[in-house]
Amino acid sequence: MSVAAESRPVGVDIQENEENRALVEAIEADNDDLTIRHMPGMIRLTKNGQLVINQASVEARLGRPWETHEFQLAIITYFGEFVEWDDDQIIIAWKH
Amino acid sequence: MTVPAQKPARKLSMKQRYTALTHDLDWTPTYVKEEEVFPFTTFEGIKVHDWSKWDDPFRLTVEAYNKYQAEKDRRLYAVLDGFAQSQGQLGLTEARYMNAMKIFLQGIPVHEYNAHRNFSYLARYANGPGARFAALCQSLDELRHAQTEIHTLSHYNKYFDGMHDWHKWTDRVWYLSVPKSFFEDAQTAGPFEWLIAIGFSFEYLLTNLLFVPFMSGAAFNGDLPTMTFGFSAQSDESRHMTLGLEAIKFMLEQDEDNLPIVQDWLDKWFWRGYRLISLVAGMMDYMLPKRVMSWKEAFELYFEEQMLNGLFKDLEYYGIRPPRHVDWAIGEKEILSHQVYWILYQYSHAAAFTTTIPNAEDQEWLEKAYPETWPIYKQVVWDKAQRVMDAGGRYFNPGLPQLCTVCQIPMGFTEPGDPLTQCQRQTVYEGERYDFCSDGCQWIFEREPTKYRQSWLPVHQIFQGNCGGPTLPDVAAWYGLQPGDGAEYLGSPDHQAWLEWHGQTTKEA
Amino acid sequence: MAVKAMYDYTWPSRSAAELYGDDQLVHVWWRGNPYFVSAQTFRFPKAMPFGALVNDVLKGFFTADPDFVPESLDTAAWKVDHEDLVPDLEASLEANGVGHKSLLEFSL
Ligand SMILES: [Fe+2]
Ligand SMILES: [Fe+2]
Ligand SMILES: [Zn+2]
Repeated sequence: MSVAAESRPVGVDIQENEENRALVEAIEADNDDLTIRHMPGMIRLTKNGQLVINQASVEARLGRPWETHEFQLAIITYFGEFVEWDDDQIIIAWKH
Repeated sequence: MTVPAQKPARKLSMKQRYTALTHDLDWTPTYVKEEEVFPFTTFEGIKVHDWSKWDDPFRLTVEAYNKYQAEKDRRLYAVLDGFAQSQGQLGLTEARYMNAMKIFLQGIPVHEYNAHRNFSYLARYANGPGARFAALCQSLDELRHAQTEIHTLSHYNKYFDGMHDWHKWTDRVWYLSVPKSFFEDAQTAGPFEWLIAIGFSFEYLLTNLLFVPFMSGAAFNGDLPTMTFGFSAQSDESRHMTLGLEAIKFMLEQDEDNLPIVQDWLDKWFWRGYRLISLVAGMMDYMLPKRVMSWKEAFELYFEEQMLNGLFKDLEYYGIRPPRHVDWAIGEKEILSHQVYWILYQYSHAAAFTTTIPNAEDQEWLEKAYPETWPIYKQVVWDKAQRVMDAGGRYFNPGLPQLCTVCQIPMGFTEPGDPLTQCQRQTVYEGERYDFCSDGCQWIFEREPTKYRQSWLPVHQIFQGNCGGPTLPDVAAWYGLQPGDGAEYLGSPDHQAWLEWHGQTTKEA
Repeated sequence: MAVKAMYDYTWPSRSAAELYGDDQLVHVWWRGNPYFVSAQTFRFPKAMPFGALVNDVLKGFFTADPDFVPESLDTAAWKVDHEDLVPDLEASLEANGVGHKSLLEFSL
């Protein structure tokens, strides 16, 4: 039977390095009930429903402007779908 | 990057910029017919009513693409340089680690290049601007992957065997015919099947099993270049995953008649891709001196959890069901790596990598990772191989293996539920017998027998006299193998050099 | 199912019997012994007597397994293409029903 999109996990794997620390912290701050797993060289963030990345949160921690396009430098892989990718926000979720 | 005093005001939003620079640059031809401009997108039977519905969620423009790809390359080449300058190869866990990299670097760069070619074909021949532009970006990415892999390889080639003739080996050596036949199978299909084969099945469904645990394994084993090109390629890969997902959803949304065609391709390419990456299972569990996770764990995490419980629940909406033969793959997760490495071990005298019996530490890890199945293989095959070794020999298979007509892997996979009896499937087509390793490969053959009966099976080619001659030295010479490229790791030139670099001798070790 | 193509798609087999002249490929499978990771493919004359295959080839070949006792092949149970076979040792492979790319299986 179909399991509702809101209760299925989505996630993203990010390179774990100094450049990405602010990004990871921003994701942690903006997403409750995040599951975090560290593996050599990478960090895996998963969450049920949807995962949000806010430009403002990243910039606040980074202390410089950050375009959402920059997320491409950090990401290794993801699961779910990019249902939103705009100037101020990226959202990963399942559509159905 | 510098910090500007204040944010420059933008005239257009990201979405508007994307639309302006992709969709809005398109035009409808008037003095030639659409099917003359785009002649290859109808013969597969996929019906498309509105190409403008194909969007790139990344909303990438040429400008943004160039900017970020240049930054990725800058970071990557800084690492490669630093590694070469600091003699980074000395910091690997062990020289035998390189064997996993050898298989990867021998087998993959050419197919990155093939992917580049096929995506540039799509960048020209897809009817819609969204699809064309995403394909153009991917085409450039794949070229970059080929280049960065070759640059990584060229550093290691100075210090290790098994690197010098990768380009020739890709076309000739038996185990490299596995990825070659896979990619050529996809390239000789139509554009939509290619998208399901590579874009969706390989890059979305299975790519994590190839790259993520493996590149993390590179990080764990001191292999900075591989970790870095791997993660750098993966950052492109997430865009490729998106293209694959966009492709399948686009086909399913355009016309309900597309569903059975797409499902059929998905069934085929899941199994094709799964069999291909079984090589990775053997590499992960047996060839990495330090392991991040087992094949079984990676399969559960990246395939069962993410794909079966995530993605396929999403695709259910369109009427898509999980791929045919997926239960067979799940059933194999406890035994796959044992079987693959046993194949590699007994034929490594005819290969460009070396193998060795898992040492005490490896065995302890295997026992923990596979408490049910490791003891079986230890008793039946490894204890015997060790006895041969103790008596001063080394077990290499003296003959040539029966190959699966579809995946081209030696037929060492077993019947479901029976880890010791090899699976034998045969189909007679137009009076000729063909062999398969599994129901999955047999099913693929029976869909398109006139395609797969052309398989260039290395063993059959050797017997037809097309590979330099009938004996192993003849074939090895034709492959371009040199002493030290293959066979046993212990005592090999790589092993000896490694000990010397670290101030030991073979005797002490 | 036919291959979807923009022309009439038909190509010959790259492993057809004609490519091997008076010989043929035969897969020999020691069932239940994964020490040989898969069945082995050989090229044999079609006219080779079954007894010569067993005594001159296989008894030597399988000694790569240190536990193999060559004489045990004298009492092996045979199958060809999954059907039981009581081999006639004097007769050729062909006469014993072993064809091109046949699977010749034995258990000890
Ligand atoms: Fe690639
Ligand atoms: Fe890719
Ligand atoms: Zn197969």
